[in-house]
Amino acid sequence: MIRYMIVQNVLHRPLRTLITAIAVAVEVAMVIMVVGLTSGLLLENAKRVEGVGADIMVQPPSASVFLAFSGAPMPIAIGDKLKELDYVQAVAPVLVQFNSVNGLDVVFGVDPATFSAVSNGFVFHSGHDLQNPNDILVDDIYAKAKKVKTGQTMHILDHDFHVAGVVEHGKGARLFVFISTLQEMAGAHDKASIFYIKCDRTDHTPAVMDEVRQLLPRYEIRPLKDFISLMTSSNLPGLGAFISVMIGIAVVIGFLVIFLSMYTTVIERTREIGVLKSLGASKGYIARVILSETTLLCLTGAVVGIGLSFLLRTVFIRLFPALSILITVNWILRASAIAIVGGLLGACYPAWIASRKDPVEALAYE
Amino acid sequence: MGNATRIFASPEVLPLARERALEPILKTEDLWKVYRSGKMEVPALRGVNMEVFPGEFVSIMGPSGCGKSTMLHVIGGLAQATRGRVLLDGNDLTTMTDAARTLLRRHKVGFVFQKFNLLPTLDAYHNIALAQHIHGNGFDPHRFEVVAKLLGLTERLTHKPSELSGGEQQRVALARAIVSEPKIVLADEPTGNLDTKSSDAVLGLLRQLNRDLGQTIVMITHNPDAAAYGHRVLHMRDGQVVDGSTVH
Repeated sequence: MIRYMIVQNVLHRPLRTLITAIAVAVEVAMVIMVVGLTSGLLLENAKRVEGVGADIMVQPPSASVFLAFSGAPMPIAIGDKLKELDYVQAVAPVLVQFNSVNGLDVVFGVDPATFSAVSNGFVFHSGHDLQNPNDILVDDIYAKAKKVKTGQTMHILDHDFHVAGVVEHGKGARLFVFISTLQEMAGAHDKASIFYIKCDRTDHTPAVMDEVRQLLPRYEIRPLKDFISLMTSSNLPGLGAFISVMIGIAVVIGFLVIFLSMYTTVIERTREIGVLKSLGASKGYIARVILSETTLLCLTGAVVGIGLSFLLRTVFIRLFPALSILITVNWILRASAIAIVGGLLGACYPAWIASRKDPVEALAYE
Repeated sequence: MGNATRIFASPEVLPLARERALEPILKTEDLWKVYRSGKMEVPALRGVNMEVFPGEFVSIMGPSGCGKSTMLHVIGGLAQATRGRVLLDGNDLTTMTDAARTLLRRHKVGFVFQKFNLLPTLDAYHNIALAQHIHGNGFDPHRFEVVAKLLGLTERLTHKPSELSGGEQQRVALARAIVSEPKIVLADEPTGNLDTKSSDAVLGLLRQLNRDLGQTIVMITHNPDAAAYGHRVLHMRDGQVVDGSTVH
């Protein structure tokens, strides 16, 4: 009976119901998309780093796990010493540069021979490997997103590059140039940001890591097998706070919309509340009606919001192919729970007002 | 035997019942209700004494502002008395908490209002069933059917209030008031918004409910013809019952 009454109440004012549900949907979609975008970018980045095919990554002391934040303070000669360690099959120095022109991209400066030895080489969609100092390789996702083709000239890092080839994505970065060219451009002669190490056998990784620790104490030495687990928002300075702020804004929006919607509902239904009281409905019963109605609105909004999130992801990825948006069941449930809890908090005061209405005054309300 | 056929004291034996000291279902003793407006005190009831016996149909008449509706609210537990006592089926409403009065309304009182006060979002069926739901004993289809049939609503149950005439709406309100078998029905100007034909129909139904089901009814009205449907008419003036007469 109470369920029927609640559904009828919600249907009685379709426009208000629609607006409230849309507001909750936007709240849910906002949470899912913000988390999805950040998580997607992090995961995609992690997958690319893992995709290099190395077993160990060596970075300077206190270097960030996020490669774009790393500088180039390591002498490239370290690579020779690493190569001499037991069980080491190949070492590839990489200089990392951050390109902010026409998008945000990480550029890898590589030595084709050593990088291929570590990563088993690129898979080419078109063109050929780096041959000339001004050559650049782009991955297929970047090529699709920026409409780049083999043979054309690309202007990044204030430099004109010749697109030598388009390669399969997943090898650490989307753009690859000669390390010497990048060193020249960055004024980082004989420097590298990262050394990727390939062991002769995977089970030798811990032993090699121990050797590297002895050789380079205080340096960041990370196994790439578990790299994805390191790419969390808590490891990126400010990202966790950013996500929390965005969720907070979403909750406030949901709270205010539900508050306003349910408050006007209670005012509008003052006489009906008086009728319920005359029938012997308790304060709890009346509060339950208001809160159940809110829950129904929030659930409807959440379902619409989930659908909206998937729609937005499809649209965004079609518009920006390089974008990665990760929508997980975990965050779908969390975003829905956040919306419902925020909505219920917003409905608490209207429900309290409704439950405490004087029945005689309520029945006389016009 | 169904609940709807519950035996009450029949109207014919009421005078005898009173003589035999049958306990009144409703009794007020020196009942006062004073409203405060800033520093002003406005007494709406000034020491009302009255008794209503089980199975009685009592009409209360009086000019506007004499305190009729206030008295209905106080004896129905919607408002708290300022002073005096209200005994409803042995329960003193004046000493009860708000929650206890809510429970008492739920189980012992049925209200009928001038403006029908049906929930506009629900059809007639659910408006009536709502009372049973709030009552808490679950839906009683037999009682529901008896009441709907008695009030001639069987064919109108799927209609919302906006699709019903005034007379039909008041019949739904009547059904809602009695479907949970209250000890007493309190009707506040039940024909005030109806045309003559519908008024006669509703008053006839009230009398039928009283006669056939033994339903105790207290009805407020301005209309002497309507008041004549009761066994007794109480007259109020300036917050007091000033006269009582038996209708023959």
